[in-house]
Amino acid sequence: MRHVLIRSVALILLVACSQETTDDGNFYHAKNVSYIVATDPGGGFDAYARLIGKYLKKNLAADNVIIRNTPGAGHLVGAITLFRSKPDGLTIGTFNMGLIYGQIVGKPVHTFDLREFEWIGKASGEPRSIVVSNQCAIKNMEDLMAAEEPVKFGSAGLGSASFSDTMLLATALDLNVDVIPGFEGTEGEMSMMRGEICAILGSTSSFTQFVDSGYGSLILTIGGEIDGIPNAMDFAETEQARRLVAIIETLARLGRVTAAPPGTPKDRVESLRAAYKASLEDPDLIAEAHTMRRPIEPAYGEEVYQLVVSALDQTPEIVAMIKKAIDGAQ
Amino acid sequence: MDLSGIFDALLTIVGSPYHMSLLLLAVPIGMFFGAIPGLGGKLGVVLVIPFVFGMDATAGALFLIAMHAVVHTGGSVPSILFGVPGTGPDAATIVDGLPMTRKGEAGRALGAAFGASGFGGVIGGLFILALLPLLRPIVLQFSPAEFFLLALFGITLIAMLSGESLVKGLMVGFFGLMMAFVNLDPQTGTQRYTFDLLFLWDGIDIIAAVLGIFAIPEMIALGAAGGAMARVDKAAASHGRADVMRGIGDVFRHWRLSIRTSLIGAFIGMIPGLGGDAASWICYGHAVQSSKTPERFGKGAVEGVIAPETANNSKEGGSLLPTLFFAVPGSSGMAILLGAFVMLGIQPGPAIALTGMEIVWILIWGLMLANILAVMMFILVAPALGYLSYVRGNLLIPFVLILTFLGAFLAVRAWENMVLLAALGTIGYFLKKYDWPRPPFVIGLILGPIAEDSYHKAMSLWGPAFLLRPGALIMIGLIVLSIGFYVYQQVTNRRKSIWLSEDDH
Repeated sequence: MRHVLIRSVALILLVACSQETTDDGNFYHAKNVSYIVATDPGGGFDAYARLIGKYLKKNLAADNVIIRNTPGAGHLVGAITLFRSKPDGLTIGTFNMGLIYGQIVGKPVHTFDLREFEWIGKASGEPRSIVVSNQCAIKNMEDLMAAEEPVKFGSAGLGSASFSDTMLLATALDLNVDVIPGFEGTEGEMSMMRGEICAILGSTSSFTQFVDSGYGSLILTIGGEIDGIPNAMDFAETEQARRLVAIIETLARLGRVTAAPPGTPKDRVESLRAAYKASLEDPDLIAEAHTMRRPIEPAYGEEVYQLVVSALDQTPEIVAMIKKAIDGAQ
Repeated sequence: MDLSGIFDALLTIVGSPYHMSLLLLAVPIGMFFGAIPGLGGKLGVVLVIPFVFGMDATAGALFLIAMHAVVHTGGSVPSILFGVPGTGPDAATIVDGLPMTRKGEAGRALGAAFGASGFGGVIGGLFILALLPLLRPIVLQFSPAEFFLLALFGITLIAMLSGESLVKGLMVGFFGLMMAFVNLDPQTGTQRYTFDLLFLWDGIDIIAAVLGIFAIPEMIALGAAGGAMARVDKAAASHGRADVMRGIGDVFRHWRLSIRTSLIGAFIGMIPGLGGDAASWICYGHAVQSSKTPERFGKGAVEGVIAPETANNSKEGGSLLPTLFFAVPGSSGMAILLGAFVMLGIQPGPAIALTGMEIVWILIWGLMLANILAVMMFILVAPALGYLSYVRGNLLIPFVLILTFLGAFLAVRAWENMVLLAALGTIGYFLKKYDWPRPPFVIGLILGPIAEDSYHKAMSLWGPAFLLRPGALIMIGLIVLSIGFYVYQQVTNRRKSIWLSEDDH
């Protein structure tokens, strides 16, 4: 009887161990992968993760890709959770790259280094634009550059990526603006419709309906190209201004990134990158994203890492300028 | 307005077994997401979006709107039976719903909640129909200046919700306001009372707060007292279908209140940025304020269930308006719906008035039909639900506590929230034990941030002159009236009691 028991236990152990290695060398076979999303359900980051997760499951041959929403503190909670997750290749995550600002200026809460993440890829960029209300006297960039009275800009709360982008652009192009923080979500658009604030700098896709409805128009774009709309780089006259605009551009290009925790074994990072690439090149995913009106402009592994490093490596003068632009308002 | 178009849309739904069966499927799913604390309608919609993906625009949109419309109908059930709000806006229903359960009137309270939800939902739909032509000027009238004063008006309702002691009410209210300051200062980005804990950066979570202040104390009290939630004998109590019908009848008996709170709810829903929590509490405050016998509230007055429940469902109708016609969602739930509509090929925005009115009518009818269906489904199960109030405490408490802690965790997906829940639960227990009013805490916590944020914005936009805007002056008038009415009520009550006591001598 005892022999039977020992044999059964041995057999179970053998089967369990072979689970790790059979699977024709595929580590992910029959395993669950967690996909951390640094926001609540709904919204862009969540939508991309759910879409990509579905295809990652197929391409990794994983049992499931589970979306874990860990919202809070302007994507910090999600990023820190991912940074501290067990680096076994079974956890990946997505968060807003606006966190780069916090690292550049050395905020004490930034207890992690973005360079250390294992970058898997990015699904799309989020080109920024300035949208002006049709009730505002400012009609184009020339008006904005020549404004004598401060032009009222709305932005999300202090410390948010939207606020930092706006302050940085204002510094770079020497714009005469009054940035009023606290306009979350679509509050800024409502405020423009009421004729209170004049403009917002934000991700271009979020203004599509507003502009299509005739409530306002785009006057400047950063990190992307739109027919007939000038690019911020064209207005940057000094080297420093170009460096500052370049940071916003890089963040815009990075857009919807996906990363794994530092220290994830190289072979698993490679499997994740390969599956991510296969997913984003899958015609079904592209078709689905198109219906959801989520653009797909992918980049992978090393390229994303280089973008992150290029945004982080700044001269002390530039760092001081960013600090002044972002913290000076406080 | 094209009347035949309106009724064609109704026929499209009712005349199609496919559409009707979608409604029948969506309603229980929506109610389920409402009834489990911490899940809520937003998560519900996100989770079903993949299933809706393959449907045509009409069917998909109908399914989503029906599901979203009845979330709060489901949310009222645990509020009434256990004092555990299914969603944030359902917390106001506890104040009188739970005492009704204790008195053995669970059936009637559930009936009133379903009736009120259905009533509010239908009135909310009619409100949209009536207001379509005036939508734009009204919505655009509300700027941060009016938001600030509306929040102040809500805060004056603390006086009405204080019960017997204004001082106690104000103290609890200010405690709630203080808790509202735990976050990152929206103007300076400085951490306030966050003790370097990231999960406090976004403020005290409303779900954890209402679960802590209402649900935990009830469970401790039940454990201490023994017995079941209902404090009366099963034989003497009412939980049959007749009692549920009586509750539904109450909604119509108090039809003036029902209509008023439905309209207030729809109105608040229509203005993006105020949120559902504010709607149900302001309506609860209004019910107390407008009652001839305000002393009955908090002890099981059926109007205290009707007011917040009408508002909860009617605000969904209201918030559909800016979502569809401005593409500016009236609430965070609507923001997700908006995204889903776009995916289905519906293009919200002013152009919808020219090109897509058919889908607008379908959504409005869907909203109303879902509310009516929810009531009918619930009438069937309400007597069984009422029985739950007779489950012995030792069986009920572990179940409800798990639900409560799970709700707090799910709300922000942070374990720290469970610690916060326990801390607030302890405070809530002592408030209950020593008979301090608890609703002012929630009012302070909910309206504090709205007041602060809109004050800063109004000051940056106009300076102190914001108080002189026409809308602001109307709101100031309302606040003065509200305070004046309270003082008048107190003075006449005191005179009456002096007069009565003199009579006794």
